[in-house]
Amino acid sequence: MTALPAPRAHPLGDSAVTIAFGTERNAELLNRIHETARALRAARLPHVDDIVPAYLALTVFYDPLQASYEEMAKALVQACDRAAHAPVRAAQPREHRIPVTYDGVDLEAVSSSTGLSVDDIIARHTARAYSVDLLGFVPGWAYLSELDPALHLPRRAQPRPRVAAGSVAIAAAQTGVYPLDTPGGWHIIGNTKTVMFDPMRDSPALLAPGDTVRFERVR
Amino acid sequence: MIEITRAPPYLTVQDAGRKHSRWSGVPQGGAMDFTAMCAANAIAGNSLNAAALEWALGGGSIRFDRDCVFAIAGATVRATLAGQAVAPCTTTYARTGDELTVEQIITGRFLYLAVAGGIDVPPLLGSRSTYLPGHFGGYGGRMLKSADSVALDAPPAALPAAGFHCAAELMPRYDTGIVHVTRGTQEDLFDERAWRVLTESEYRVSNASDRTGYKLDGPALGNSIGTLPSEAGCPGAIQVPGDGLPIALMADAPTVGGYPKIAVVSAADLPILAQRRPGETIRFELITIEQSQRALKRRGSDLETIAKLAGRSS
Repeated sequence: MTALPAPRAHPLGDSAVTIAFGTERNAELLNRIHETARALRAARLPHVDDIVPAYLALTVFYDPLQASYEEMAKALVQACDRAAHAPVRAAQPREHRIPVTYDGVDLEAVSSSTGLSVDDIIARHTARAYSVDLLGFVPGWAYLSELDPALHLPRRAQPRPRVAAGSVAIAAAQTGVYPLDTPGGWHIIGNTKTVMFDPMRDSPALLAPGDTVRFERVR
Repeated sequence: MIEITRAPPYLTVQDAGRKHSRWSGVPQGGAMDFTAMCAANAIAGNSLNAAALEWALGGGSIRFDRDCVFAIAGATVRATLAGQAVAPCTTTYARTGDELTVEQIITGRFLYLAVAGGIDVPPLLGSRSTYLPGHFGGYGGRMLKSADSVALDAPPAALPAAGFHCAAELMPRYDTGIVHVTRGTQEDLFDERAWRVLTESEYRVSNASDRTGYKLDGPALGNSIGTLPSEAGCPGAIQVPGDGLPIALMADAPTVGGYPKIAVVSAADLPILAQRRPGETIRFELITIEQSQRALKRRGSDLETIAKLAGRSS
């Protein structure tokens, strides 16, 4: 096993610590960050409000009236170190199946841009298991990787002012499902009835970082 | 119960925001001027984090459907209760049927009304604050409209005396326009020149400023990095997009973003920035994280002092 570079802590203002794990974005690093975030969650460190994993770093929000930056940074780097040596698998990543009606408004345009038939697009989109890289943009939005290279397209030049909740879309190497009616610039290839975000649910966001997702065609 | 008799253009229920759901993409949200909201609560006899009403643009009228104790704080406005002027940061008693009328905001931007008991809307994800882009939280996930009736929780047994007033020195110095910042997570991606520019220039709050973020006009900061893989931001983070003009993230900002962050506004000073209107200027001063946390503790103890003095007045 190769030695992993030690995580480095930086303050994000007076109420958060960002812990950087590397500088190169890749699936291995992301996986390590997700595992560390799960271990930190399971460790229930005092004064921690929230843990936000991302591509190169995870950020821990804490109560600055209870703990200083120095204390938090030290405790967190140690906890990350412990997680690296004795991975705690407290909450396993889950697998989700999302049924999709492939009738998105951009399906024809994606077909002509990629040179693929609609059936081929659907086959490629449903063939893979995607991993939840990151949640953000709007509540419950998950960036899913990695899309079949034949489907990679830049975002639309003109974002739409309103994309309906449940729209299944692609852009660059990622795919995702709009959890709310929001503006959006991704190519819409289908729709799902699965509710991605509901603030009334115990766990409002359907997906969590590190989970995997498969799309299934429904007619 | 209070009733909105004439809705102002932008009135929402806010509190301390959501501190445990960022991981799922839910912004922190909450009061733009958290200090003013807490002070209004203390002066109305509430716990500091009780839900209050936030005006972004002044105007409107509210009728009290029972005898109520309330306070307003934050932006300065001309306000009247049953025709009598209402002083800011002052415990005020309203009789059943009295109408509170708020005129245009004179200075500042966000005004808070705290009513003893606090606004009683169902908490979602640990907060009663309204998140407008997500259509959830607060009063049905939306701005208040005319004829809306807003429920109140039972007021505390002991209420501050009418006319209790909070000393100005216990509140932030809004007038200086000085906003303290600490170095951001990507500070090393900016050279010394960018730092000099940020801390020696005047920045003007642009028209592109709302609860999500304030775009600032002034000298460009020279972002040669472009965007980075997304990572967490926070209210107060100053991010620099490709055009070099900084954007300060505010309460409703998305939880993650890809622009490098040169600095983060000290949480104690975020209200000072929040209360700047488009066209008004600010200056940034660099402090250490330790100083920033000390300032936040001082702010917290000032608010506790207000609550204690209010309690003693009853």
